[in-house]
Amino acid sequence: MGIRVTQSMMNTQLLRNVSSNLGRMNDLQNQLSTGRRINKPSDDPVGLTFSMRYRSEIDANDQYVKNTDSATSMLDFTDTTLGQAGDVLQRLRELAVKGATGAQPQEAYDAINLEVKELYNQLVEIGNSKFNGKYVFNGEQTQTAPYPGTKIDDATGKMAYEVTTDAGQTQYELGPGVTLGANLTGVEIFGNPTDADNVFLVVKQVSDALKDGNYNKVSDLIGSIDTRLGTLLEKRAEVGARTNRLALVSDRLTQTGVNLKSIQSKTEDADMAEVITNLKTEENVYQASLSAGAKLISPSLVDFLK
Amino acid sequence: MRSTFHGLETARRSLFTQTAALYTTGHNVANANTTGYSRQIVNMTASQSMEAYGLIRSTVPGQMGSGVEFTSITRVREKFLDDQYRNENKSFGDYSIRQDTLEKLETIVNEPSESGVRTVIANFFNAWSELSKSPENADGRKIVREQALALTDALNHTAKQLSDLKNDLTENVDIRAGEINSRLHGIAQLNRSIAKLEGLGDNANDLRDQRDQLADELSKMINITVTEQSDGYKIDMGGTELVAGFDEPAPVTGETLTDAVASGDLNSGEVYGMILSRDTYVQGYINDLDRLANTLANGDIEVTLPKGSVIPEGTTLTNSDGSTTLYSGSVSSRTLSGDTKVVLKGLNALHQLGYNTSSTPTGLPFFTNADGSTGTITAASITLNKQIADNPTKISASMRVNDDGTLIEGNNSLSVLFSQARDMRFNFGSAGDPNLNTVDAYFRSIAGQLGVQSEEAIRQMNNSKGLVDQIDGRRQSVSGVSLDEEMSNMIKFQHAYNAAARNMTMIDEMLDKVINGMGVVGR
Repeated sequence: MGIRVTQSMMNTQLLRNVSSNLGRMNDLQNQLSTGRRINKPSDDPVGLTFSMRYRSEIDANDQYVKNTDSATSMLDFTDTTLGQAGDVLQRLRELAVKGATGAQPQEAYDAINLEVKELYNQLVEIGNSKFNGKYVFNGEQTQTAPYPGTKIDDATGKMAYEVTTDAGQTQYELGPGVTLGANLTGVEIFGNPTDADNVFLVVKQVSDALKDGNYNKVSDLIGSIDTRLGTLLEKRAEVGARTNRLALVSDRLTQTGVNLKSIQSKTEDADMAEVITNLKTEENVYQASLSAGAKLISPSLVDFLK
Repeated sequence: MRSTFHGLETARRSLFTQTAALYTTGHNVANANTTGYSRQIVNMTASQSMEAYGLIRSTVPGQMGSGVEFTSITRVREKFLDDQYRNENKSFGDYSIRQDTLEKLETIVNEPSESGVRTVIANFFNAWSELSKSPENADGRKIVREQALALTDALNHTAKQLSDLKNDLTENVDIRAGEINSRLHGIAQLNRSIAKLEGLGDNANDLRDQRDQLADELSKMINITVTEQSDGYKIDMGGTELVAGFDEPAPVTGETLTDAVASGDLNSGEVYGMILSRDTYVQGYINDLDRLANTLANGDIEVTLPKGSVIPEGTTLTNSDGSTTLYSGSVSSRTLSGDTKVVLKGLNALHQLGYNTSSTPTGLPFFTNADGSTGTITAASITLNKQIADNPTKISASMRVNDDGTLIEGNNSLSVLFSQARDMRFNFGSAGDPNLNTVDAYFRSIAGQLGVQSEEAIRQMNNSKGLVDQIDGRRQSVSGVSLDEEMSNMIKFQHAYNAAARNMTMIDEMLDKVINGMGVVGR
């Protein structure tokens, strides 16, 4: 028995086809206007979980990039400060060499001593450097000045060479589980109270020796100045090494960011050429179904009976 | 012996019968677009012949026919297709509701996007990382506060949307119960009317169509079996009888329908889809989200506390091997001599290990319920501890204090740990049945699961829709009105009518000849 076909069956069929065709066109339009293949979880559940992970990783990566930048500027500041301290010590050495020469009138030693005292004060200022509102050389005691802001002649309170700075290091997050302490502590740079070449102690001793006109003592102290200069250079090299490491980390993070974005795009994004082609195909099918409908639906035998 | 007027009678019967056929054609054409209408046909039969069998018969040869009559008007319909249709329609009803609910859930979850829960989770951890760079400052704390509030707001909002959806579904079940009742009532009434009409020997075609239509509509809402009995349709839902014969049915309600799901009597159709969507899908996501909120605040995490951290006075910590250590006494005796792995109860416990910049630097639980309690936290009521929200200096970042108990502000150990918690695996299960995941991965799995369920529901709905359409096509093929067919029938019946009328005219002329034209020869 052949299937009996009625007008309403054809109507229903046409409506069904046209509406499912419109539905597909709607999906494609949506992909076209958002540029994304995955617009809701059911579009591709597996792809969605990947896409969400990439998005979270990109968010975290962006934060690591910011942290790396902060750590870098912290180290750059430390480097500049160490440079200044180095300059001060160089000048101290020059003055010490002058002061180590015998057979000068006391006035000459006193003149040198004036500048040496200023150098001491300048070193204290360097030790109390602030960056972004924090004392950089006092470990985690960032709100407390490590070296009392007193001048060399002020006898009250603790002298700078008696100070043990806080040993804490501010950790910067550079990646999942990766942290880097960016700050150097005061004692690392200027020396412990127990160190013979504690920079403040050495300057004080030079100053005292000059005051007494004890040029031999000044001469002896040049060695301590040299070892401290060596330590400073060493610390600057360390800062440089850390900056290099940060540059590498930064490069890697940038690269990771690019990779993540590209892999996210591969997962989420619609292939425009494909979407447009499909949309055109669907448009053609839609046109065809409409025109076929127009031909099929209207006439029946009624139209031909006179 | 035939009568003189036999021919007239034959023609008259034909005229009447063809008229009936033409009227029925008209009825069919008129109902070509009526939902549930099945085409009707007039069953014609040659009427009883002049001479019945018996002992006395005339000597006239042959048996003289007496024309046509119609014995019945019947609808063309196949019961088997009705049963099939109703069977598939219930699945279609079920899956279309499931698909609809899951689509709404997808909108609520709102992924992939830059404005969903995933984003606020990422922003929350980023804010801690930002704070870790300047733990002594107020601005970093304010960012943490705002991002924590954004996170709890997002969870609250999502939970609210879910409970709204749940209430909508409950309301819809009640509305459907009303619709079911009106149809059951209609069927009982039709059972009565049909019995009355058919008791007289007629076919109540149009009423039967209406009753089948009501049964079709019911079949989309709930799973029904239809049995035709002498007193009309008996409709059962599983083991529950909904209507039988003439008796007014006992009304169903949202509660009876929910009970029927529990007893297994209601197992398909839209109402089942609604109850299942509500109790399985929507409630499932509410539970998942609650677990997310509670685990973030209170779930077990393994954390490595850095060397040098000072544990707050009187804190008991659970070590990774399960043993506990009480930290008490002087600052130095509470200072960790090396990195220490401990198991903590969520970010709340972690935050309490820190010190903040306020006048009382003791760490507070970070998240609370809206009422301030910290027991079991739900997505609907999770919020940032009010004390912290009012005063962000109570956000701890440091884990070190001086010997005199004053804060070391530059320490950022706690904020780093908070930030690193993005990669820490929280226990979303229970102690005995652990489910270790990062917060992000757990939420991702929720969204992924939703995607799979929704994808599956779309597929199932399309399948069952295809089947329903196919069976409905078969039914239309049998019962639907074809205008072409009706038109050609109309021509057929019209010609028969015309011919019968012509036959009558011919007999009329013949009788005219006999009555008026004969016996006047030679006049």
